Amino acid sequence: MNINLTINGKDHELTISPGDSLLTVLRATGYVGAKHGCETGECGACTVIVDSKPVNACICLAAQAAGHSIETIESLGEHPDQGWKTTPGLHRLQEEFVLSGAIQCGFCTPAMLLAARELLGRVDTPSEEDVKEAFSGILCRCTGYKKPIQAVLRAAAAARGEELEPIDDRLPPPVDWIGSESTEDGDIPVEMPGLSPDSGGMLAPAQVMPKIELIPETEAWRSVGKPEKKVDALKLVQGKPAFAADFERRGMLVAKVLHSPIAHARIKKIDKSKAEKLPGVAAVLTWQDIPRVVYSTAGQSDPIPGPLDTFSLDNKVRFVGDRVAFVAAENEEIALKALSMIDVEYDSLEPIFEPEQSLQAGAPIIHDEPEYINFAESNPEKNLAAEIRIDIGDVEQGFKEADFIFEDEYRVPKVQQAHIEPHVTITYWDEDDRLVINSSTQVPFHARRQLAPVLGLPIKRIRVIKPRIGGGFGGKQEILSEDVAAHLTIATGRPVIYEYTREEEFIAARSRHPMHIKMKTGVKADGTITANAMYALSDTGAYGGHALTVTGNTGHKSMALYVGDGKYRESPNIQFYADIVYTNHPPAGAYRGYGVPQGFWAVERHMEKIANELKLDPIEFRMKNALRQGELQPFSTAWSEGREPRPETIETCALDQCVQQGRAALGWDQKYGNPAWKTIPGKPNLRRGVGVALVMQGTAIPYLDMGGASIKMNDDASFNLLVGATDLGTGSDTVLAQMAAEVLGVPVEDILVYSSDTDFTPFDKGAYASSTTYISGAAVVRAAKAAAQRIKLRAAKLFNQQIDDGTLIADDINLAEKKAVAPDGRKIPLSDIALDTLHHSDQEQIMGIGSYVSPVAPPPFAAQFAEVTVDVETGMVVVDKLVMAVDSGVIINPLTASGQIEGGMTQALGYAVSEEMVYDEEGRAREIDLRDYHIFHAHEMPELTTIFVETFEPSHPFGVKAVAEIPMDGVAPAVGNAVFNAAGVHIDSNPVTPEKVWRELQGKK
Amino acid sequence: MIVEYHRPKKITDALKLIENIEGNVVLMGGGTAIDRFSTNPMVVVDLQDVDLGKIKQNGKFLEIGATATLQELHDYPDLSKPLKQVIMREATRNLRQVATVAGTLISSDGRSPLTTAMLALDASLTVIPGDETISLGNLLPLRDQTDETKLVTKITIPNNANLAYEDVSRTPADLPILSACVAAWPGGRHRIVLGGFGAFPALASDGPERGGEESAARDAVSQSGDEWASVEYRMEIAPILVSRCFRELDL
Repeated sequence: MNINLTINGKDHELTISPGDSLLTVLRATGYVGAKHGCETGECGACTVIVDSKPVNACICLAAQAAGHSIETIESLGEHPDQGWKTTPGLHRLQEEFVLSGAIQCGFCTPAMLLAARELLGRVDTPSEEDVKEAFSGILCRCTGYKKPIQAVLRAAAAARGEELEPIDDRLPPPVDWIGSESTEDGDIPVEMPGLSPDSGGMLAPAQVMPKIELIPETEAWRSVGKPEKKVDALKLVQGKPAFAADFERRGMLVAKVLHSPIAHARIKKIDKSKAEKLPGVAAVLTWQDIPRVVYSTAGQSDPIPGPLDTFSLDNKVRFVGDRVAFVAAENEEIALKALSMIDVEYDSLEPIFEPEQSLQAGAPIIHDEPEYINFAESNPEKNLAAEIRIDIGDVEQGFKEADFIFEDEYRVPKVQQAHIEPHVTITYWDEDDRLVINSSTQVPFHARRQLAPVLGLPIKRIRVIKPRIGGGFGGKQEILSEDVAAHLTIATGRPVIYEYTREEEFIAARSRHPMHIKMKTGVKADGTITANAMYALSDTGAYGGHALTVTGNTGHKSMALYVGDGKYRESPNIQFYADIVYTNHPPAGAYRGYGVPQGFWAVERHMEKIANELKLDPIEFRMKNALRQGELQPFSTAWSEGREPRPETIETCALDQCVQQGRAALGWDQKYGNPAWKTIPGKPNLRRGVGVALVMQGTAIPYLDMGGASIKMNDDASFNLLVGATDLGTGSDTVLAQMAAEVLGVPVEDILVYSSDTDFTPFDKGAYASSTTYISGAAVVRAAKAAAQRIKLRAAKLFNQQIDDGTLIADDINLAEKKAVAPDGRKIPLSDIALDTLHHSDQEQIMGIGSYVSPVAPPPFAAQFAEVTVDVETGMVVVDKLVMAVDSGVIINPLTASGQIEGGMTQALGYAVSEEMVYDEEGRAREIDLRDYHIFHAHEMPELTTIFVETFEPSHPFGVKAVAEIPMDGVAPAVGNAVFNAAGVHIDSNPVTPEKVWRELQGKK
Repeated sequence: MIVEYHRPKKITDALKLIENIEGNVVLMGGGTAIDRFSTNPMVVVDLQDVDLGKIKQNGKFLEIGATATLQELHDYPDLSKPLKQVIMREATRNLRQVATVAGTLISSDGRSPLTTAMLALDASLTVIPGDETISLGNLLPLRDQTDETKLVTKITIPNNANLAYEDVSRTPADLPILSACVAAWPGGRHRIVLGGFGAFPALASDGPERGGEESAARDAVSQSGDEWASVEYRMEIAPILVSRCFRELDL
């Protein structure tokens, strides 16, 4: 049918299918700022304005929108400087989003901007609640909403003519700030905030920067430590084509996958003939059509630290959602129709859904294929994907020396990364017959290496391009969509796009490992831990790519934090055993935190119980036993992700300061143990409570994770920084640019970052293990220093030409403010050096390359606090406030780093109270959309406070440690502990749902 | 799969279309509930141009045009505050702009706060042709069997009834695990409805006098066990929520 759409004031005559959504048609017409995140209007990434109202384009038919005025992000504002052409520039909202750090991955940014503009069109002075309500239909999985809300409030204030506080203003010390200096009498001054009558989540609009305790080393730096704008912010606020699905190819086919409706079965017969005959179908592939190559979908370094147990297509299905066939067709409708025309006859096999059953003798064997390749202790005959047995010291002796033994069991659920951009890949043959894979991947180099044998191509004939990524959180460390599109491109010779639906994300992507964890802890009467043991039974689902490494980290981090005190501190007794088993659930994989949140749920709930039983202060008990600076990471001598372990000393640990700052910001001392505060006048059914959890994470994998970088100087003294590092929305490109700028003495805008492309950028292992700022950052610093050295040599030569007896050498030269500076104060602009170098004399290309692999994985530490209100009649829990004080070393960019903490806490909040994936007795998922899988919306967010306590990690040139994953670790146990503080009941499995709380309250009665 | 799209200008045109089209006709208000990915052929009749979106007072009643959106109902100046809150609870801002009141009632499940409230208010729907009036309570169990040639034109609710709504959920904006809604009329009549489960909310009681609410509430949820909560939990919590509603209503 033909329609006329008025888009941004321009009429478009279009031929469409009656079922085409407005989103499909807008994107096909070139308005790619509206994004596909779901098909049910739940995520709001496709928001456009229709007749002045925010509308989800994915659930609006294009035909329905005919005759209405449609506005997209492309109408809002544009780059202010376009050569000889002047433009009005960015809209005030876009400017504030850029300045306030409101953008992380940027996938939902156009939607938020349009919703905000609609709000400001009807309200001059919006309240914070107004903004939250305007954002209520737009899900953001990265930011935690705080900075986008602040950006809108600032833009509104600016529109009213009010003067705004500069973003980069150092905040005056807040009233609740505790100084780190001791007073003359040696006491730490403690100022506590006044108790607010309402603990509900209001934010201070002007306070965009987090609270941060700086160390002296950072004060002289010009780029590092500053709230620089994200280097990709401009394109993201304009909704420019930046994500994988935005790069349409001529003649591109649409891929769809037929998923198994049965949890465990052999494919007895599969008939694709009817589907192949359907007009518009270009290819139908089953297991009979492609080579049978066993591999792992887990993107990891070589050798893969896990079993090879997966085929692109197999004659057996192992979970509801497993792949059965691939289809490529001219459009989505035809592809879906074709799927329905494939006849499959299954021979059902007995499934396993309980991990305990997997290990039982006589249990069905899920992986009976002869091609299976073991790693370490994996044993498919026992349904064992991995086994871990770690003994540090002598736990049995430690238990004998204890006055008390505490044993308990805990459970953690399967949860989903729920990045708003689904998995998406576009593949095509280039003019040299090389296969190009444009993918939303966290691991482009691993994807290339691991896919080569699967596709029957040598590595050199594959090019993987990673554009911007709309969130990954580990879900895109998995190679899931790339092979589907690639096989179909090989089959058809044509470009193919394969984009997951939201349902596919839930049934056929990866998730966090659910675990059943047993804790046994020996404690002396004074609170000294004498021995600590954990056993984890981990469900890897149908495939085990991340089985060993995820669950290994469960113990490696959470069980390392509490070593004991006194002689136990010097020689801790720790045991961590785990069995990671196959079941017929969808596979688990990498998810931000990588096994550590599971461990800390058990450890921190357990510590709370012990403190309570022994009538010890929960914070003092923890700090008495916690790992300290200068001590050995106890697991470093015992385990290293399937590789040789080597001892690591904790060089920096500011956990004590984190505790002090966090408890002050929450008002812990006024609230904990204060019966008057716990009750709310006039609301006898409500109780308030506070809880704490201490956590640690890691920073990269020592002796393994490698990042590379190259820097090239241009004629105008700008620099191309090429990194294999994979910015998945975290802002890593920006912090890498800041480090390069610091070394080269130029502003960040003179560093042009490109990441990542296996043809053009150096190798990097990818974005995982909290490693990019640390590993890739060190590589960038090395590359920048190499380039700087050449610049200084050239500068010394030029300076020496100015004076006959000049004897300057490179080391005499300083680079600052885009100039080379001699010791006597003479200056040469770097652009003069660039021109001299490229055009005038002894011509050369100034370049630097660097790579880095670390011998250590310095852990960040944090104190997580939570405040909750519990309805003791219904069991409903409302989280009112989260405070996280973090030691992540030096903070390169306080805006992006605090955004990581806020977004991480928000994801972890879902893990605490609402997120879980539940299956019926046949293995079918309860959660297949974002309606049932509830992640937090803007209008229900608690107050978030981030505090950074800086330390200088000596193994990194700028003293950094990781920040990305640690906010996932402590929220759930802190909430669980706060519920105990409020209502006196222990919930041993997360999420803490109303019925669980109610049941415990009933038991208490 | 949507194979045809029609946008009639008048009600009579709409009726002619749905009477004459062969196949699976889908009447579309806002379109939020249409499954575009179904492989069954569908003919969509879009009602946006048919003049069915007005909201007006009619004596003791509020008449809500079938295609009035949730946001339009929310913004109606004389709408009660509790009903406004229920609408906010029903859907996020984006969805409220297009989701229609009739569409929500026709397509929602038992977890819908608006349907729960509308059932408590004893809403009735006017259907054409024939100007037939059917109560929401009678319609809900029969939604799958409704005549495809019929068209809802308006929803009528009393404007003299007070309303109170309470629910329990995992987070403040999550779908309710259990909800209770009580509507109370000046003459003493009150209706108690429980939602948060099943295909549609359950009427617990409708009568002129207080008393027996607790057991009525328990009875209404006695078959409510599902993957989100146990019967036991809902049977214990339902009377608590109902009791809170009555307190809000000062009854």
